[in-house]
Amino acid sequence: MFEEFNSETPLDQREDIVVCNNINKWFGSLHVLKDVNLTVKQGEVVCILGPSGSGKSTFIRTVNGLEEIQKGEITVDGIPLSNDLSDIEAIRKETGMVFQSFNLFPHMTILKNITLAPIWVRKWPKAKAEKIAMELLERVGIPEQADKYPGQLSGGQQQRVAIARALAMQPKILLFDEPTSALDPEMIKEVLDVIKTLAGSGITMMVVTHEMNFAREVADRIVLFDFGEIIEVGSPSELFDNPKHDRTKLFLSQIL
Amino acid sequence: MANDELTTKQVSIPETAPPKTSIGVLGWLKENLFSSWINTILTVVFGTIVYLIVVNTIEWIFFKAEWYVISANFKLLMVGQYPVEELFRVWIAFTLISLLMGLSWGIWKGTMGHLTIAMTAIYIIVASLPFVLIETRIWLLVNIALIIATYFLGKRLTKFKKYILIGWFLMFPVTMILLSGFGVFDRVGTNLWGGFLLTLLIAIVAIVFSFPLGVLLALGRRSKLPVVKWFCVAYIELIRGVPLITILFVAQLMLPMFLGEGVNIDNVIRAMVGFTLFSAAYLAENIRGGLQSIPRGQFEAAEALGLNATFKTVFIILPQSLRAVIPAMVGQFIGIFKDTSLVAIVGLTDLLGMGKNIISNPEFLGTQMEVFLFVALVFLVFCNMMSYASRRLEGALGVGTR
Repeated sequence: MFEEFNSETPLDQREDIVVCNNINKWFGSLHVLKDVNLTVKQGEVVCILGPSGSGKSTFIRTVNGLEEIQKGEITVDGIPLSNDLSDIEAIRKETGMVFQSFNLFPHMTILKNITLAPIWVRKWPKAKAEKIAMELLERVGIPEQADKYPGQLSGGQQQRVAIARALAMQPKILLFDEPTSALDPEMIKEVLDVIKTLAGSGITMMVVTHEMNFAREVADRIVLFDFGEIIEVGSPSELFDNPKHDRTKLFLSQIL
Repeated sequence: MANDELTTKQVSIPETAPPKTSIGVLGWLKENLFSSWINTILTVVFGTIVYLIVVNTIEWIFFKAEWYVISANFKLLMVGQYPVEELFRVWIAFTLISLLMGLSWGIWKGTMGHLTIAMTAIYIIVASLPFVLIETRIWLLVNIALIIATYFLGKRLTKFKKYILIGWFLMFPVTMILLSGFGVFDRVGTNLWGGFLLTLLIAIVAIVFSFPLGVLLALGRRSKLPVVKWFCVAYIELIRGVPLITILFVAQLMLPMFLGEGVNIDNVIRAMVGFTLFSAAYLAENIRGGLQSIPRGQFEAAEALGLNATFKTVFIILPQSLRAVIPAMVGQFIGIFKDTSLVAIVGLTDLLGMGKNIISNPEFLGTQMEVFLFVALVFLVFCNMMSYASRRLEGALGVGTR
C-alpha cells in the first residue's frame, strides 16, 4: 500500500525524502542539536541510537515541526519546513508519529482515535475511513478492541493502536520516538513485531530506540547520537561489529 | 506441621454467638452513643436538643404556621405581576418544555428520566395543593399526561435525537417570544415579569450565554496573540475584582447614563446581561483550569496528525477540559441560580423580591418565616436537581477514563 517506487532500486539511487541540513537547536542557552546533517532515502529504515539526553528525541521531533529549530534547514518530501503553518501542516499530513507515551485520545473509542484525522484532515468519507481503520487494526492484531476506550487497553495494545492511528493517514514517513520505552518487558515484543512488519512494507521510517537487537535487525542505517551531534552513521554491521569512533565503542560497550 | 495442628485445634472450638451487648441495636448504641460517661452525657444533652427542635418544628409547620400567605400569593410568587388573562402563554411554554422532557425521557432514559420524574412529582404536588386555581390544576394534569404520553412516544423515536436537541435549543427563543409577545401576542413588558418565572429566566439566560462566552475567554486567555490575550486577562480580572452587586448597579443605574437619553434598554435585559458577563468571567477561569490539566502529549499527538488549531481545540482539547471541570462549572451555575435573588436589590421582583413585597403587605404581617421557608424550599429543590444532573453527567462522560 505504500509502494510508490521500485523497492528493488538500491538505496543510494532512490530519491531523498528527509533532508536535514546543519540543523541547530538551543533550549535557552543549552545547545541541544549541533550541526546535524542527515539525509534519509525513500523507503529507508533509519534507527537512531544514543545515550539518554543526547538529543535524539529532540532531533526526530524537529522533523515534523514539533520542535522548532533556530538554524539550518529541513526538507520533508520536497516541502521546506518553515514557520509557515501551512507548510508545517502539509508536512504533518505526510509524516505519522508514534510517541513514547502513546498519547491516544482518552475520550474517544479506538476506532474514533484512528478515523479522526483521515475524516477531518484528509476529508475521507466516514465509511472509507472506518474500513481502512479496521484493516489497520487487523494488521496490528487487535480488531476486536475497536469500540473500547484507550484506558481499557494494555500498554502494548495502546501503542499498537497508536501505530494504526499514524498509519491511517497513509503517511510517506513514520517517526517513532522511543515506542517501547514506556512498556512492560512482556509487551515490548508485540510492538516491535508490528514495527518489523512495517519495515518490510516500503514505508520510510525513522526510529529512536534503545532496543539494540531490533535496530540491528530492521535498520538499513544506524545513526549514533551523543551530546547533540551525530557521532557515526553506518549500516548495522559496520556500526555494531566494526565501530570507528571511540564514543561509539564506549556506548556499545555500556549497552551490550 | 505445628501450623496444621493449630488450625485443627481452632476449628474444634465450637462457634458461639458474640455477647449480646456487642451486636445488633444494643451493641451499636453502646459502641456509638454510650461508650463512656462523657459520651453518655453528650448523647442525652444533644438528644434532648434535637428532640426539642424536631418537635417544635413539626408543631410549627403543621399547627402554627400561617400557610395561607403562600396560598393567597401563590400566583405572585410564581409569575409576579404577569397578567392573569395572558397566563396561558406561560402555560404553553411550560407545556412545550414538558413535551420535550417526555420525549427526552423516552429517548435517553437514565438521568433525563430521573429529572423528568422529579419534575412530574413537582407537578403532582403542586396540582394536589388545596389552594391552586382549577385552571392551574387542569394545565398541570395536561402536562403530566403529556409527559407520560411523550415518554412512550420517545421510546420509539430513538432515531430523532438530533431533532429533540434542536428543539431544546429553540425552546429558549420560543419561550421569550411567547412571554413578551413580540408582535404575535400582546406585549407584556418585562416589568410585569416576576416571581419564580423571573428567577428561572435570568438564571437560564445567564447560564446559556455565559457558557460559550466563558469558553471563548478561557481560550483567548491562552492565545498567542497578545491583543486577544491581554483583552481576556483584563476582562476576567476586572469582573472578578468587582462584586456582583456592583455590576448589577452599574447595569441598572450607570448604563443608561453612559448610553445617553433615547437608548432605553429593558431593566430585566440589563440584569440578564450583568449576570451573563459576571458568570462568564468565573466560568472562563474554571475552564482554563481544565485546559491546563490536558497533558502536552495530547496537543502533540493532535498536531502530529496534521489537525489544525480549530480541529485540535474542538475535538481533542475542549471535550477533555470541559469534562474535567463539570463539577466546578455546575457549582458556578448553581451559584448564579441562587445569586439571581440579588436582583431584588436593584428593584426587580424575583422569587425572593416578591416574597419581601408580600411580607411588607400589612395584610400578611408577621409571616416572614413562612414566606422565606417556601422560597428556600423552591431554591433547594432546583439546586439539588442541578447538582444531581451534574453528578450523573460526570458519571456518564467518565466512560473509559484514564
